[in-house]
Amino acid sequence: MNKAPWIFLGVLFALSLSWWGMVYGPASQVNNLSAELGGGAALKPRVGLAKQGEQVYRENGCYYCHTRIAIGGTFGYEIQITQLGDDQQINEEVVGEDYSTQPVFKKAYAYKAVAKATDALKAEQAKKPEERDEAKIGDANATLISAKAKAGAHGDDVEVNLIAYGVSGVNFEPDLRAQLGLPAEMNTNQVEMVSNARFPVTDGSQKWEDIEGIVRKLKDKAGAQFKLQPVAKEWPDVQRGARRQSVSRDFLFDAHAMVGVMRVGPDLSSQGSKIAPLDKKNGVPVNTIEADNKFYKHLYDPQWNGESSHMPPFRYLFRERTLDEDALAGSGEIIIEKGDAAKVAIIPTAKARALLAYMKSLRTDKSLPEAPLVNLPKQASAK
Amino acid sequence: MSENTENNAPPAPEAKPEAINASCRLPVLFLFFSAAIWAVQASAAGVLGSLKLHVPGFLADCPYLTYGRMQAGVWVAFLFGFAGNAGLGLTLWMLSRLRGMELARPGVVMAGAVMWNIGVTAALVGITLGDQPGIAGYELPAYSSRVLLIGQALIAFSAILTFFSRRHKQLYPSSWYLIASLVAFPWIVGTAHWLLVETPVRGAAQIPVAHWAVTSLQQIWLGCIGLASLIYFIPKITQRELYSRQWAAFGFWMLLILGGWVNLNSGSPLPVWSVKLSQFASMLFVFVLVAVGWNLCQTAKGVPLIGSEDLTLKFMGVSLVSWLVVSLYTVGNSMADWNGLLQFTYAGTAMRQLFSWGFFAMAMFGAIYYVAPRLFGSEVDWACSGTYKWVFYLTAFGAAVVGLAGLGLSYGHGDALTNVETLEVVKKALMPMRIAFMGELAFLGASLIFLCSMACLLFRNCCGECSPMSLIRQCCPAKAEGGAE
Repeated sequence: MNKAPWIFLGVLFALSLSWWGMVYGPASQVNNLSAELGGGAALKPRVGLAKQGEQVYRENGCYYCHTRIAIGGTFGYEIQITQLGDDQQINEEVVGEDYSTQPVFKKAYAYKAVAKATDALKAEQAKKPEERDEAKIGDANATLISAKAKAGAHGDDVEVNLIAYGVSGVNFEPDLRAQLGLPAEMNTNQVEMVSNARFPVTDGSQKWEDIEGIVRKLKDKAGAQFKLQPVAKEWPDVQRGARRQSVSRDFLFDAHAMVGVMRVGPDLSSQGSKIAPLDKKNGVPVNTIEADNKFYKHLYDPQWNGESSHMPPFRYLFRERTLDEDALAGSGEIIIEKGDAAKVAIIPTAKARALLAYMKSLRTDKSLPEAPLVNLPKQASAK
Repeated sequence: MSENTENNAPPAPEAKPEAINASCRLPVLFLFFSAAIWAVQASAAGVLGSLKLHVPGFLADCPYLTYGRMQAGVWVAFLFGFAGNAGLGLTLWMLSRLRGMELARPGVVMAGAVMWNIGVTAALVGITLGDQPGIAGYELPAYSSRVLLIGQALIAFSAILTFFSRRHKQLYPSSWYLIASLVAFPWIVGTAHWLLVETPVRGAAQIPVAHWAVTSLQQIWLGCIGLASLIYFIPKITQRELYSRQWAAFGFWMLLILGGWVNLNSGSPLPVWSVKLSQFASMLFVFVLVAVGWNLCQTAKGVPLIGSEDLTLKFMGVSLVSWLVVSLYTVGNSMADWNGLLQFTYAGTAMRQLFSWGFFAMAMFGAIYYVAPRLFGSEVDWACSGTYKWVFYLTAFGAAVVGLAGLGLSYGHGDALTNVETLEVVKKALMPMRIAFMGELAFLGASLIFLCSMACLLFRNCCGECSPMSLIRQCCPAKAEGGAE
C-alpha cells in the first residue's frame, strides 16, 4: 500500500469488478432481450403520442412520486385441466374425490363414453355388408343409448356442459350435441368457452411442493393435459390492479427507464389497464371518452370530485376558461364543476394528451413467458 | 501519520505548511466558497420542494417548479455543487499536505473549478427547463456532464502532479481514499454519461447501469472523500496514530469492491441473480462497516468525539456516527423482507439525506472549519467562531431528525403498501416527510450560517485593507468620531 501506481491499478481493478457485475453483466443480458413473445406475437415499441408522453412524464419528474414496478408476491398454483385423460378411474384417483364427483368431471367422461360408443357404432356400420354383424351393431347402439342417458343424468346446466365438452376433448356432430344438452349451433361466446375450457382440480392455495405429486401423475399416469395458473395469495400489487409482476421486458422500449423512487402516489405499472381495460373478446384496449376525461380532470385538479389526493394540480397542461352558470361547453372542452366554485372548461394541451397516451401504454395485462398473468383468489375476485 | 522517506532515494525536500497553504489558497478557497453557495441552493430548493409536497397547490402553476424537477435539482446542487466543490477542494489541500508539497499548477485548478461550477449551473438550468435524463440520483443533462468531466480532469491533473511530485516510503490511508475518489469520478460519470445519456442503451438495460452509477457516486465517490477526511482529522486532532493500517486497507478495498453493488431494491425488474448478488454484497458490507468503524473508534478510544471541545472533532464524530448508521442500513438491505418493506418508502431518501448531510456535509464542514483559516495564515481564525457552532448544531439536528423520521416512520408507509386493506397510504407516506421537513429547515439554516461565515472569512482576509470588512471597520470609527461618511 505504499506504491502509488499500485494503488491506482488496484482502484481501477476494484472498480472494474462492480462495473462488470452491475453494469456489463446485467446490462448485456437485458440489452439482448428479444421482443418476441412466441406464437408470432411481439412486444411493440411505444410510438407517437405515447412516446412524447414519456418525455412529459420525465421532464415533470413524475417518477419521484410514482413507481412503475409491480413487484412480486406470494402465490399458489391452480391446476387447470384442459383435457382429461382416457382412463376415468386413474384420473379419478389423481384428482381426488372432491373434484372427481363434480358434474363437469362426470359429464366429461360421459361425453367421452358417448364419443366412444358413437365411434364403435360408426365403425360397425362402416363395414361391408357381408362383414357386418347386426348383433354387434345392436350392442353398440345400446351402449350409445346408455351413454347418452348417463350424459343426461348429470344436470342440464349449459355452461357446465360446455366446459365438460371442452375438457373431454371430443367432437360431436350438431345433432348429437343437441341430444346431449349442448347447443347444436354454438355462438362465438360458446365456442370460446369450449376452446378455453378449464377444469380446476386445486383451489389455488397450494405451493409447488403440495401439487408436485399430482402434476407428475397427471402427466405420466393419467395422460391429462393441464396448465398451472398462479393465484395470488399475498400479492398487494395484483390485489391493487396489476395482473402480473413487472419484468425487464416491460422497459424494453423505454427511452428512459423511469422505475420510480417512492410510492407517494400509486404505482403506475397498470395505469393503462385502468384507463382503457382490455376487451375480453379481442384483447384490444377499450378507450372511452369518459375514462379519458376523468384522467384529464384528475390531472387538472386532483381533488375535483372531492377525492383525497395529494397530487399537485397540473393546470399548466391545459387551456382553461371560466364559464357562466348557464354557458355551454365548446367542442373538445371538458367541464369541471367543483362545489360552489365557478364552472371551468378545460382543453388538454398536446402535452396533456401525450401524457394520457403514455399512461395508457403502461400495462401489465398481457402475459409474458417469464411473467404469466396472475389470478385473484375466487373469493376476492367475487368481491 | 508519520511519513518516512525512502533511504535509497532521497525525496524532494518537504515544503513548509505555510507555503503549501499559500499555494492552495486561491483555488481551494474558491472551491470552498462555491460549495457554500451550492449548499444554500441545495437546502433552499430542498425546503421549497418539501413545501410543495406538503402543500400540493403551492406554486403549482409554474411548470419549472414541479416537485420532481426540484428534487432533481436539489440532489444535483448538493452532489455536484456542494459535495463536488468541497470534496475537490479538500482533496487538493489534503494531498498537498500529505505529500508535503505545494499544490502543482493552481491556475489549472482554477480553470477546472470554474468549469466545474459552469457545469453544475448548466445542469440546474437544464433541469429547470426539463432536460434531466430521468434517472433519480443522476440527473445531469449531457452538456453539463461533459463540462463537469473536463473540470474534474483539470483539477485531478493538478492533484496527480502534486501527488507524484514527492516520493514517500508510506502512503497515509487518506491518500488511498483520495486517489480512489479522483479515479472513480470520471469512471462513474463517464459510464453514466455514455450509457444513459449520450448513447443510451435500451430502456431495460438502463436500470442496472443507473443503479450502479447512483450507488457508486454515493458510496465510492462521496464515501472515499468523507472517510479520507475522517481518517485524516480524527488522528490529527486527537494527536494519535491511526489504530491500524491493516484495518484501514481492508476497509478501503472492501469499500471499493462492494460500493457499486449494494442497495439494489428487491423489487427491481432485473435478472434475479443481480438482485441476489446485490443482497450478498450488502451483507458483505458489514466488513467495511467493522473495518472502518472499529479502526476509527479504536483510534479515538477514550476521547469523546461529539462531546469534544474541538469543533472539528465534533463534526467528525457526528459524521462517523452517521456513516455507521447508513452503513448499517446498507447491511440491512441484504434482508429481502426488510428491503421489500422499505424499498418504495421515504427510508431510502432519508438514508441518502443522512449520508449527504449527516456524514459527508458534516465531514466537510468540520474539515473546512479547520482548513479555511489556515489557508490565510496560522494566526487567522473565523470571524465569528461562535456562530460556526450553529452549523454543527443545526446540521446534526437536521440529520438526526431526517434519519429518525426515515427509519422510524417509514415502516407505517411500507406496511400500508403491503396491506391492501389500508386506505391511508398517502397519509402514512407523508408522515415521515412532514417530520423530516424540520430537518431540512435546519439544513437550510446551517448552510446559510456556513455561507455567511465563509463570506466573512473571505471578506476579512482576502483583499487586505481593501476588503469589505476592513472598509466597514474603517468607516465605523470615522462615523463614531463624526468624521466623513
